[in-house]
Amino acid sequence: MNVFKNKTTRFLTTSLIAVVLLCVCVFSFLTVHMNYESTQTINQVGTLYMSNMSQQISMHFATTISLRLDQLDAMTTTLPSESVQDHDRLRQELSYQASVRNFDYLGLYSDDGSFEMLYGEQLAVTDPAPFLESLSKGEKKVAIGTNPAGDKVILLGISASYTMENGRSSIALVAGLPASYLSDTLSLEEDDDHVYSFILRRDGSFVIRNANAYRNGYFERVRTLYSDINGMDPERYLEELQQAMDAHEDYSTECIIGGDRRHVYLTALPYSEWYLLTTMPYSTMDSIVSGLSQQWARTAVLGGAVLLAALLVVFAQYFKLTRQQLEALEKAREEAEEATRAKSEFLSNMSHDIRTPMNAIVGMTAIATANLDDKDQVQNCLKKITLSSKHLLGLINDVLDMSKIESGKMTLSVELVSLREVLDSIVSIVQPQMHMKNQQFNVSIHDIATENVYCDSVRINQVLLNLLSNAIKFTGDGGSIGVALYEEDSPLGENYIRTHILVSDTGIGMTDEFQAKIFDSFTREDSTRVRKTEGTGLGMAITKYIVDAMGGAISVRSELGKGSEFHVVLDLEKADTPESEMILPEWHMLVVDDDQQLCESAVSSLRSIGIRADWILDGEGAVEKAEEHYKAHDPYQIILLDWKLPGIDGIETARRIRHRLGDDVPILLISAYDWSEIEHEAREAGITGFISKPLFKSTLYHGLKPFVEQGETPLETEEQFDLLKGKRVLLAEDNDLNWEIASELLTAELGLELDWAENGQICVEKFQQSAPGYYDAILMDIRMPVMTGYQATEAIRALDRSDKDLPIIAMTADAFAEDVKKCLNCGMNAHVAKPIDTREVARLLKKFIPER
Amino acid sequence: MTLEECYTALGGDYQDVLGRLRSEKLVSKFLLKFLDDGSYDLLVTSMDKGDWSEAFRAAHTIKGVCQNLSFTRLFTSASQLCEALRPGGPPQSPDLFTQVKTDYEATLSAIRTYQAGLPA
Repeated sequence: MNVFKNKTTRFLTTSLIAVVLLCVCVFSFLTVHMNYESTQTINQVGTLYMSNMSQQISMHFATTISLRLDQLDAMTTTLPSESVQDHDRLRQELSYQASVRNFDYLGLYSDDGSFEMLYGEQLAVTDPAPFLESLSKGEKKVAIGTNPAGDKVILLGISASYTMENGRSSIALVAGLPASYLSDTLSLEEDDDHVYSFILRRDGSFVIRNANAYRNGYFERVRTLYSDINGMDPERYLEELQQAMDAHEDYSTECIIGGDRRHVYLTALPYSEWYLLTTMPYSTMDSIVSGLSQQWARTAVLGGAVLLAALLVVFAQYFKLTRQQLEALEKAREEAEEATRAKSEFLSNMSHDIRTPMNAIVGMTAIATANLDDKDQVQNCLKKITLSSKHLLGLINDVLDMSKIESGKMTLSVELVSLREVLDSIVSIVQPQMHMKNQQFNVSIHDIATENVYCDSVRINQVLLNLLSNAIKFTGDGGSIGVALYEEDSPLGENYIRTHILVSDTGIGMTDEFQAKIFDSFTREDSTRVRKTEGTGLGMAITKYIVDAMGGAISVRSELGKGSEFHVVLDLEKADTPESEMILPEWHMLVVDDDQQLCESAVSSLRSIGIRADWILDGEGAVEKAEEHYKAHDPYQIILLDWKLPGIDGIETARRIRHRLGDDVPILLISAYDWSEIEHEAREAGITGFISKPLFKSTLYHGLKPFVEQGETPLETEEQFDLLKGKRVLLAEDNDLNWEIASELLTAELGLELDWAENGQICVEKFQQSAPGYYDAILMDIRMPVMTGYQATEAIRALDRSDKDLPIIAMTADAFAEDVKKCLNCGMNAHVAKPIDTREVARLLKKFIPER
Repeated sequence: MTLEECYTALGGDYQDVLGRLRSEKLVSKFLLKFLDDGSYDLLVTSMDKGDWSEAFRAAHTIKGVCQNLSFTRLFTSASQLCEALRPGGPPQSPDLFTQVKTDYEATLSAIRTYQAGLPA
């Protein structure tokens, strides 16, 4: 992973640098190239422009010169040398003609190079040789000369043969114009910085120069001013210039004067040994062009930077994305590996777990087959087979549940659920197991605002059962296990209630490591202390899944060796329930329990059903408090007593209260335990009845409701018993005296219609002969001749009659727990001990005879 | 001899029986009926015959009757005998049966005395 990361980083860095370099190179090249190109273009444009201009100027020069020469020509034509004999007259004529034609000078040129001036001052030709030579050949020629003041004069000559003063014949007529004429005509002296021209002679001396060029010759000017001429030194430039002059060719180049770039163009002028040199400085164009190229460079750099930045962003994003993907991939791979490992481990565990009970089943079956005659042996084998099968079934159920979950096929069926019923059923399921391990069981509920909610009752049961059976499983003998339930407002709104379920134990606890993965599938703490505990390791995963599916959360807190606590939080939808109907008379009650929270919660629940209640934490205090109130003529109307109390227990407390206050006040025992074993003792001590923990509002309501009738006003007894008036009851009793007493009491006091069956057999027969529904109940003695009460009950229950399930209540002198149990086991509804207590009989009959 | 004195004599709980049966007349009526109750005779014959289960049932019946009539003393001894017979064999000690006999005779004589004192 790391290596890979490094590689990626290196690759990315390298390519980034490469791209940056490439960008810089490309843009630099582009800039340079464009600069060069633009310079070239400017040069071309310059050359074109210059050559055009130079041609213009030279054409203009030619036109001007030929015009002037034509004038001269015209003069010679009008005054042919033969026509004027008189020399004076000739001079006058020619002078007149010259002045008319705006010539400043006019003279005759002899073949020895001397002038005879006809008009104007004496002139001298600056470079007479080529002038003389051309004129001798009869050509027209222009040259430069000077007047006596030393000013430059343009000389125009055409061949003409006039007789001169000295008698010789002239070879040419020469007219002179001041140098300024030419420069004015050719606009060479324009006040324009951009372009200026010189007219040079071949030796570099100026024929016409502008004001700036104060040096004697162009060549001298070049040597002093020009620093760089198109990469050449001035000498070389001059050489080239000279060559171009010799060859009569146009020449163009660039030069730099004082840091100023200029274009120079040379062209030969006609009728003369002169050359026009035009110079144009680049500065203006240059500044525009260089501005352009600077802008171009800036744009290029900016463009490059933008491009680079964009590239960088894309790179970075891509890099980030790739890295994330890689990480996710890596994580997924690890998870998958982990899951696979867990699954294969699970498989091997499971095979072992399944093989063990399966082996037992196979082995026990073999043993049973081998010992078919030995009934005990077979029975033993069958018992073990049953146990193993149940275990195996449990394993398979878990696996099926898990596969259902893993394939997403488990759904919740939401229905109206009473939390009280859920907890009651769970408590009754786990009680025997805890009893077997002699574990303490605390059920505590408080702040229950809503008992009825919408939920999947099967699944919530499964969750609780899983947590509780784990708690039992991993808690040793004598440990303690607690279930707590409380509610608070849900963040989901008023229609929901947040329900907290806490299952705690004082068992072996879990390591932190295991806690982290307890809710994963296929895990089981792998240590020797857990080895002997059976299970698939799927329970918690299933639990977690169910809680998740319900939109809840489950967490665990555990310490090795100290115990664990699971906390389930569910937001359940409230169900509409007619809870407002739960109102009891305004009793004054006492709640006795060593758990203060339970006391407070019970008192608040009682208050909500209309009962005023006090609470106290121990038995001795309870006895005192009850007595105080009794003496103050404000006795408690009902007392709720916890069975397990510090100091004297609930039964002893009841006994003492009975001793001091008599039998009037109903005392109810509250307990999370199965009370069938202590019932007899409790009843003897004066306990009136039992209420099972947890104490929901409805538990209290339904537990206390029976006392509404008999609680306060004994006068109501008559009315209550009225309900039983006319009910037909069959009484099985073998003893005459007992029968008479029962008959007397039940007939007189309750208004029952009693029929007598002398023994069980007769009882069954009488019931059989009666019309269905004739009897409302049977009171059954147990010890009877011919047929006992047990047998009679079983016989009646086995009949094929619509009313075979009528209430059968045992009435016997035996009140041992096992007797009571046996009665209930053989199908009787309840048990009442002798002596006959009409009130108790009435209560039970009322309870079991359905109202019509 | 009043009914209450009779109860004292036979070792019974008069208040208890009056509480349940509500009237003296009824108590008196059933008290006298006890004289006709055949359970004791059944107990004696069964014990003699060694029919332990029948003896258990008889003792049980006596126990039940005594509960109804609040004959505490006889109830106690009958109850003990009953438990001794419950397993189905002969009682470990013959004293229990003797005790029942004694208590029964005492009860009977007390009732008879009471009966004699009643207006004809």
